[in-house]
Amino acid sequence: MSCAEEEDLTAYVDGELAPPHRARVEAHLGTCAACQRTERLLRVTVARMAEVSAFTPSPSPSTRREVLARLDALPPTWRERLAALLRPGVLVPSLGVAAAAVLAVLVVGRGGGEPALEEWDPGALEVATNLELVEDYEVLGLDSSDDLEVVENLHELGMP
Amino acid sequence: MDLDPDTQAMLKVAAGDKQAFAWLFDRHHASVARFAFRFVGDPARAEELTQDIFVKLYRHAGAYKPTAKFKTFLFRVATNHCLNEMRRGEYRVARLATGAPDAEDAGGLEMPGPEGDRPDQALSGRELEAAVGLALGDLSERERAAFTMCRFEGMAYRDIAEALEASEAAVKSLIHRATLAVARRLEALQAGTVPARSRA
Repeated sequence: MSCAEEEDLTAYVDGELAPPHRARVEAHLGTCAACQRTERLLRVTVARMAEVSAFTPSPSPSTRREVLARLDALPPTWRERLAALLRPGVLVPSLGVAAAAVLAVLVVGRGGGEPALEEWDPGALEVATNLELVEDYEVLGLDSSDDLEVVENLHELGMP
Repeated sequence: MDLDPDTQAMLKVAAGDKQAFAWLFDRHHASVARFAFRFVGDPARAEELTQDIFVKLYRHAGAYKPTAKFKTFLFRVATNHCLNEMRRGEYRVARLATGAPDAEDAGGLEMPGPEGDRPDQALSGRELEAAVGLALGDLSERERAAFTMCRFEGMAYRDIAEALEASEAAVKSLIHRATLAVARRLEALQAGTVPARSRA
């Protein structure tokens, strides 16, 4: 059966325990032969790992080129797209176009409320001029041009 | 605040500087390739993973905060990528990992064998590599990741915890289990009860 302290032995060997914790483990090691054996085994193993790590891969120039080519093939991120849009070469002409558009909207907006009198449709202008007469026609229920002519010339018929 | 060269380079990478990226790549390629190799036990796959990890590093450079150590950030990217790939079943740990591969098998990597073949030791360097490779193959993915960062990259438990997004207590436990498993295998090998290249 293993001791509760066994879990701490690797951290102890690695020097990763805080001083009070380390002191507790040391006190336990003084009295537990099984933990002493385990601690020795761990210490030897950790030391031997230094030989294993002599294995050192290094990048070849072609590996670096491949990775850089993959970066070039990446779709631009929103940050890159934003940066591209904010470049002076793009930003200045774009601002010019935007300013012209805003100006055009303002000019059209200001002038667009009431068209000049000469821009009116002639038919509509005539109706407007004779609005009172048109309303009378509608009250009378007249719609043919003959009836309208009669109404227009009522005064010639000697009506009171 | 004085920033170390890695951090300065990484901030440049975040701004899209590919020269700074190439510098970081040259500087840390070996660590990442070694980590990936210990993870998958195959040099060609390790190289694929290493390239993927660096591409991810570039893509996520904007998430880097200079308050974190660059190496911790790099290994967080590396660990997440390796774990994800393992979960997707893209890679399987080479169960017959023999440590440092032969040069002709190493693909884009130049992987010299261990220089520590010492006749005075009970285990030769190659036997040691083989035994460690086999023991790593038997570990859980997180144990393997924690062990590799600790033993081969010399990272502190605190940094490993950050890279693994785990507590220091959890990392202490992962490293202990992994180290003990490797120790037991080496012990058995030295006692002659387990052949160096046997399956677990």
